[in-house]
Formats: sequence, structure tokens, C-alpha cells
Amino acid sequence: MITNYLSLSILLFCLGILGVVSRRNVFIVFMSIELMLNAANLGFVAMARLHVNMDGHVLALMVMAVAAAEAALALAVIILLHKHKGNLDTNIFSLLKG
Amino acid sequence: MLATYLFFGLAMLAVLGALGLILFKHPMNGAMSFVVTLISLAGLYALLSAKLIFAIQLIVYAGAIMSLILFIIMFLNIQEKDLPLDPNRMFYLAGGVVVVAPVAGLLIKIAKTIESEAPELAVGFGDVKEVGQLLFTDWLLPFEIVSILLLVALVGAVVLAGKRGVN
Repeated sequence: MITNYLSLSILLFCLGILGVVSRRNVFIVFMSIELMLNAANLGFVAMARLHVNMDGHVLALMVMAVAAAEAALALAVIILLHKHKGNLDTNIFSLLKG
Repeated sequence: MLATYLFFGLAMLAVLGALGLILFKHPMNGAMSFVVTLISLAGLYALLSAKLIFAIQLIVYAGAIMSLILFIIMFLNIQEKDLPLDPNRMFYLAGGVVVVAPVAGLLIKIAKTIESEAPELAVGFGDVKEVGQLLFTDWLLPFEIVSILLLVALVGAVVLAGKRGVN
């Protein structure tokens, strides 16, 4: 039973990695990172159920708080980059290239 | 028995939503499909009897974070011609599958070795009171650090997005 949840978590994490490597739209890349965070959360909660120990739930809460902070900052950066470049392509955002 | 059917239904919805996220061309469609994934994950948390996490997943993730992302996507008013061309997206996707699939298979094989039957639940497992007590006793220091992180993110967002008249 718990094994199925862990397998689903691994599958979702790998789908998130595929989204990050295969897409160039900055919104899709950002949401794929969110998908990976959610997959990790599912692993935490499944393990908490397996060991009947609620530390996993608290850790999932922490991950959600970090994801919320990340969303606020990342969206601010996306708005700024869109204002400067007028584009959503991650290949255009190469400001640090020497 | 019902829990097994529910698990497989919700798992299928979650995987389909994630596939939609990485395959749809427009970010609006991708975001709507990601909301499906988030809501079915909330259902899975409920099946694992994590009641507080179920509610917070719905309120914070599917509610607050996703509506913020959708708001920004609509705010930027993205047309078809603004989207990146992505001509060799399927090529990168195939390459990624070739790299990631063996790792995923290995990890799933390792996960199968864990003893799978969950023990009986303690009374009040995953309730607001129990998780809150844990949060404010054993996890007090990480909790305070997260509050500082949120403050820094708030200040950073204001500094980044609030520059008027500078440019």
C-alpha cells in the first residue's frame, strides 16, 4: 500500500524533471519545479503513515511554506524579465553570460 | 477495497495532470492541468489520513499559490506568438526519458523492498491538534526560521517588483 504511494511520488518527481529539461517556457519550468516539491511532499506523508509518526506532516508543511515564498519571488522575477525582454523564453534570459 | 480504487483513480488523475503540464503548449492550459494534479494529491493525503495536510494542500497550494500563478499568467496577457518556439521539445523530452526512466525504475524497485503494510493508526493521527503540538514543541526552531524566510521573501518581492520610476 505505502509502496504504491512511494512509486507515484517517484513518477511525479521524474515528470517534473522532464518538464524542466524539455520545455523553454519559463512558466512551465517553474510549475515543474512545484510539481517536484509536491512529489517530495507525497513521499514525506506516505512515510509518516508508514511509521505512524507525524514528523513527516510537519516537514510537508515546511516545504509548502518554502514553496509559497519561492512562488512569490519567482513570479516577481518573471514579471521583471518579461518587462525587460518581452519574452518568456528561458534561452533569452542569459544575462550572466560572460 | 474502496481505498485501493480511490488510490488508483487519484494516482491516474495526478499523472495525467502532470503529463498535461509538461505537454501543453500554452502555460494557461498547463496551469489548469497542474491544478488537477494538486487536487488529486490532496485526495491522496486524505487517503493517508493526513487531515491537516489535506486541508492545507487545498487552501494554500491549489488555492493561493496556483491562483497567484494563474493571475500572473493572465496579467502578462500571453498570446500564441509570444510563446517560445520550442522546435526540438520532443527531442529533449525523448532524451530526458532515456536518462530518467532507468533511474525511476531503480528507485521504484528500491521502494518495493520497503515493507508495505501500514500499521494501525493511533488515535488523532494527523489531526490539527496533534500536528500543531508537534509543530510548536519539537519543530519550534524550524518554524521560526520559516517565518524569517517568509519575511525575507516578502521584502524581496517588494524590492523586485515595486520599483516605480527607476527605469
